[in-house]
Amino acid sequence: MTHDESEHNEPEDKKVPSRSPTGSAARASTDAATRIDFSMILASAVHDMKNSLGMLLHTMDELGAELSDEVRESKKFNTLRYETERVHGDLLQLLGLYRIDVESLTANIEEHFVPDFLESQVARHVPLLDGHNITHQISTEDINGFFDADLVAGVLNNILNNAIRYTKTHVEIEARQQDDFLVLSVADDGEGYPAQMLDNQPTHPGTMNFSTGSTQLGLYFASAVARLHENAGNAGRICLYNGGRLNGGVFEIWLP
Amino acid sequence: MTTAARNKNAKIPAIEKLRFLIIDDFESFRLSMRQILRSLGAEHIEVCGNGATALQRCTYENFDVVLCDFNLGTGKNGQHVLEELRHRKLIKCTSLFIMVTAETSKEMVMGAREHQPDAYLSKPINQAMMAQRMSALILQRTTLAPINREIELENFPAAVSLCVQMLPQQPRYKTWILKTLSDLYFRMGDFNHARQVCEDVLQVRDIPWARLGLANTYIAEQRYDEASSILQSLIANQPDYVEAYDAFARSLAAQGKLAAAQRILERAAERSPHAILRQQQLARIASDNQDIAAASQAWRRTIELGKHSIHDSATHYLELARSLSELCEDDESEHGQALASEASTTLLALQRRFKEDQNACTRAALIQARVHAGQQQTGDAEALLEGVLPADPVNTMETDVSLELAQTLYALKRSSEAEAILAELAQRHTDEPDIQHKIEALLDEPVSFKKKMSARQLNKQGIAAFEQDNPEAAAKAFREALTFVPNHAALNLNLIQVRLSQGAGKPGTKEWIQECKGCIEALNSLPDGHRQYKRFRTLKAKVEALSDDS
Repeated sequence: MTHDESEHNEPEDKKVPSRSPTGSAARASTDAATRIDFSMILASAVHDMKNSLGMLLHTMDELGAELSDEVRESKKFNTLRYETERVHGDLLQLLGLYRIDVESLTANIEEHFVPDFLESQVARHVPLLDGHNITHQISTEDINGFFDADLVAGVLNNILNNAIRYTKTHVEIEARQQDDFLVLSVADDGEGYPAQMLDNQPTHPGTMNFSTGSTQLGLYFASAVARLHENAGNAGRICLYNGGRLNGGVFEIWLP
Repeated sequence: MTTAARNKNAKIPAIEKLRFLIIDDFESFRLSMRQILRSLGAEHIEVCGNGATALQRCTYENFDVVLCDFNLGTGKNGQHVLEELRHRKLIKCTSLFIMVTAETSKEMVMGAREHQPDAYLSKPINQAMMAQRMSALILQRTTLAPINREIELENFPAAVSLCVQMLPQQPRYKTWILKTLSDLYFRMGDFNHARQVCEDVLQVRDIPWARLGLANTYIAEQRYDEASSILQSLIANQPDYVEAYDAFARSLAAQGKLAAAQRILERAAERSPHAILRQQQLARIASDNQDIAAASQAWRRTIELGKHSIHDSATHYLELARSLSELCEDDESEHGQALASEASTTLLALQRRFKEDQNACTRAALIQARVHAGQQQTGDAEALLEGVLPADPVNTMETDVSLELAQTLYALKRSSEAEAILAELAQRHTDEPDIQHKIEALLDEPVSFKKKMSARQLNKQGIAAFEQDNPEAAAKAFREALTFVPNHAALNLNLIQVRLSQGAGKPGTKEWIQECKGCIEALNSLPDGHRQYKRFRTLKAKVEALSDDS
């Protein structure tokens, strides 16, 4: 007896024969449609707000070009720019966390040339650095590193923004290789991180304290991104301390 | 070792020689981008506000750098522009296409089946960012231009040796060079070397693109089990790496595991719903898997995505209408009517959009005739058929149109005309197995999808009964199946085989022989290229021997 293979391949999938619109599948989806997926609603609202702020930032840049130097370099104008940038950055992190959590985002690790990567992250912040009269320096060898560029860019973006807020005169961005890790660090010459933040580094959402503002959210995102990086039994991590070469706050992300 | 803060007004060397095109639907963005580029030293800058105009510009002028916003309002989006530019070779391999997005990530464009931009730039964009990215990208373009020029000339061996030569000198572009190298070996059919590149990368680090590259070489060598096991674990580790799903589905489909391939593609399409080629592939696989409802849904999406895409094709409309016509055949319920009317709308849209494509329009009319026939509107069906039926179909129509015609003739119960056409086609295409298969499928099962499915189900039952030594139940199932598809080769032969197994000299032998003769009769016009032909000859001889005995 032969199964005539090609002519007789049955629909292998049991659900196939008839999916009538009155079937159980249709009913199930109606039930799902009546339930509100709140995290999804929030995520799409955040997405929309983030795009609006992008537009706002762009318009501010344009406006800045039309204004007199005096107004453009004024404290108020810089605050306007800084705060918008900060909310924009926060929303980016929220979206990033949503994607890591809900869409089970994983790190797409590739090999990157570190000096180019750092320069392009810092470039985004040049108007703010200039506006606040903060000097900066990138220190790195011509090395390659393995990481997800999109995710790590999101981390540095927030950390730099934070450093600009708390530093006095100077920010230093450094990359080095240490113990099988690529270490990216951002150091400032400000007052440093508060003791309670150093003791209680945010690795889990439960330990987050939102009363300190967005810094905690940024750090939580940073540690989530670090942990998505794994290699040879090592997982990534973040590390905060005070002191360092500039005697201020130091943020480090260790990527295996 | 230290890069000092750059002078933000520094010009980029040689930028004045490059031709820039800015595509953005917002005038203010176009202006500010132009201003930024000017301040970096660019002199040739064109701007335009939508994809269609951009494509026109590129037809007449060569641009070195295209900066294109992903979201261009209505009409084509940035991905459509990119695909069409590369597909129609309106920009060179050595040119840069930079996708500007308001998204942080590549989510909107993620998983495009082909043609990735050279870089992404995310809004808002300021001068320092643009200066940094532009000088890095222009340096990259200049450094890699020799390789890209050889690729453009399809001089792959030369491109390979340039890659090998540059690899130790250019740590900055290591990833690009390695990917390109592996891809070049693959395109030359040198799968061993392509695999070697990936394996060398994987020695150092588990990198997703290298895993995928490795799996692709196994697929190319038809080592599907090895490919599948790599891809399965890659997808488990990187659930958002859509290209891995595509490769996995290819591997599964090549092994005949259509249902599994379909499920994988469904998961990929869910994660990345905007890639037209993936929807098209999903529709084909679902259709081969006889999951007509899923196929219809995927064809709908394909048509939707094709509206502004270079990959749009009349075939998508025809396939959707064919699927819908199968789903609604002999179903006059409200649901069936709705499907029939969707089929008609689809075919009308095809005739408007592809009015110059005579073949497609004729096929559309033939499918429409079947839709009418399926809704018992025989008069309308006959009228449509007569409108396109030539005197000598096989000699004046393309093969695919002739096959469509045969199917429509069957639907209108004009079987002898259909068989005549198929016989003529079979003779004409003896060396083309694809066409032979289509002819066989029509000869065997010239009936509706539902009847086909019932017959297949019964055939399965019959085989199971026979294997369990229950010939009577087997014969009953086969007989019933044959009421749906009387000329089905395998089914008729299965029934004969049951009867022969029951042996001569028993009560009922006479009736059995009679039944067998009927089966032989039904297969009398079986073309000798049919896959069941040999079996038919053998069994026919046995039946004749038996009837001589009695």
